[in-house]
Amino acid sequence: MKISGFKYLVEKGVDNVWKNRMMAFASFCVLLVSLLLVGLSVLVYMNVNSIIGGIEQKNEVIVYLDDDISDDELLDIGAALQKMSNVTEVRFYSKEEAYESLKQSMAEYEVLFESLGDDNPLVDAYRLKVGDIGQISATIAQIRTLDHIYSIRAPYDFVNVLLQLRSILTIVMGALIVAMVIVSMVIIFNTTKTSVYARREEIQIMKYVGATDGFIRIPFFIEGMVTGFFAGIAALIITWLAYDAVVNTLQSQVALLSIIGLGSIISFGSIYVPVMLSYICGGALVGAVGSAISTRKYINV
Amino acid sequence: MVELKDVSVTYSSGVDALNHVSLKINDGDFAFVVGSSGAGKSTMIKLLLKEIDATEGTVIVNGYNLSRLRRRKIPELRRTIGIVFQDFRLITSMTVYENIAFVLRVIDAPARYIRKRVQYVISLVGLQAKANSYPDELSGGEKQRVAIARALVNDPKLIIADEPTGNIDPELSYEIVELLRGINACGTTILMVTHEHEMVRHFGGRIINIAGGEIVYDDIIEGTDEQIVGGTNED
Repeated sequence: MKISGFKYLVEKGVDNVWKNRMMAFASFCVLLVSLLLVGLSVLVYMNVNSIIGGIEQKNEVIVYLDDDISDDELLDIGAALQKMSNVTEVRFYSKEEAYESLKQSMAEYEVLFESLGDDNPLVDAYRLKVGDIGQISATIAQIRTLDHIYSIRAPYDFVNVLLQLRSILTIVMGALIVAMVIVSMVIIFNTTKTSVYARREEIQIMKYVGATDGFIRIPFFIEGMVTGFFAGIAALIITWLAYDAVVNTLQSQVALLSIIGLGSIISFGSIYVPVMLSYICGGALVGAVGSAISTRKYINV
Repeated sequence: MVELKDVSVTYSSGVDALNHVSLKINDGDFAFVVGSSGAGKSTMIKLLLKEIDATEGTVIVNGYNLSRLRRRKIPELRRTIGIVFQDFRLITSMTVYENIAFVLRVIDAPARYIRKRVQYVISLVGLQAKANSYPDELSGGEKQRVAIARALVNDPKLIIADEPTGNIDPELSYEIVELLRGINACGTTILMVTHEHEMVRHFGGRIINIAGGEIVYDDIIEGTDEQIVGGTNED
């Protein structure tokens, strides 16, 4: 096919959007709703996952050390902990620091601390943060192999709850997203099929005058692509506005933010490019493929 | 040239639409195909356009043996045939000019040639003033002229006209046939399917009568030149 011929088909496809504007508008609306359903579900999933991740980061493993440990041994243990792959943060927590903290938190029992005099009953410790809390048991087992470990305190119950929450969320949201994609595809396919059905005679005429399948399909393909492209842009704008509104509302809830952490909410600015590409490319691709496939039934004349 | 050699068509429902039909229409011929509804006329057209395949026998159209023609070669065959339908089958979203030009765009003809050729065939059918009109703005006779111009624009070897006068006023029917005869005079083979027997008698020429899926009459008759206005004569 010559470039001029291809240009004609592309122009015809774009032109058809306006000529068949009622059906194009129906396809646009269906594509828009479908993109929003899937896109917003993915964004909700990403944020909930990020919030759970933020809460996970707040967990802490405390490694208490033997009381008679030397300074060199202390440093060796610190270095060994730093080297562990699942350990992301290691902070030394001296027994003096712990004692001061205890005294402050139990200020009403001042008499008790006075009776102890200069004796500090606490021990030195390292406070750790782990990267993957699913691997916390293995990490603790690794720490236990080190010398001069007095005891280890880890939030096993908390970790188990978080892990269960995450797996439930992954299954539920995953199923929801897959269901929405399937429902959207069925609706989109039926809408494009209706649009093509309305023009089945046009397709038959094209076949009778000797048009090839490709010649007939390209304008439908372009038409679907243009409709999908605009649906993608509209979905992006709506998502942007809705997302910012929700984030602004959440940011005004101080109590909530203290639990989930400000950094756990993904800002739209940081995901703008992938969201834009997904919407526009997804819309254009689904629109184009849906239209092209729908012509198949009427093309066999 | 159209040649049917011992062709039979049996539909999946078991209906025998054509039964051992043999026929030859030479280049430059004008033939009327007549017959009542269900006689097999439409089946014959579908066969010639390779919309359906013969159950038995050989069909040759413009040098293509349709029994052996691959699916991807069908557009090539159809570009050698112009087709005129009873219900015009114009694309309503395209103007008269675009409907006709579309056929040339299909074959990737150069833009300049398309402009010249389309203007020429529009003038041949006398629709210069309607070039930018849409089909819905035309009368039945004008629509059929557009359909004829579309069939003609690609300079096909064969034009199949499937009851081209069926949806237009009787007095205009004669004009349409005259137009087709004029095209035939320039060398294009015309196969016109009709059941307007009076009109066929008026023009004369080769008459092929199909009944019950068989050719019951195939001969040349003299035209009477009597124009019957006000109705069709269907038997």
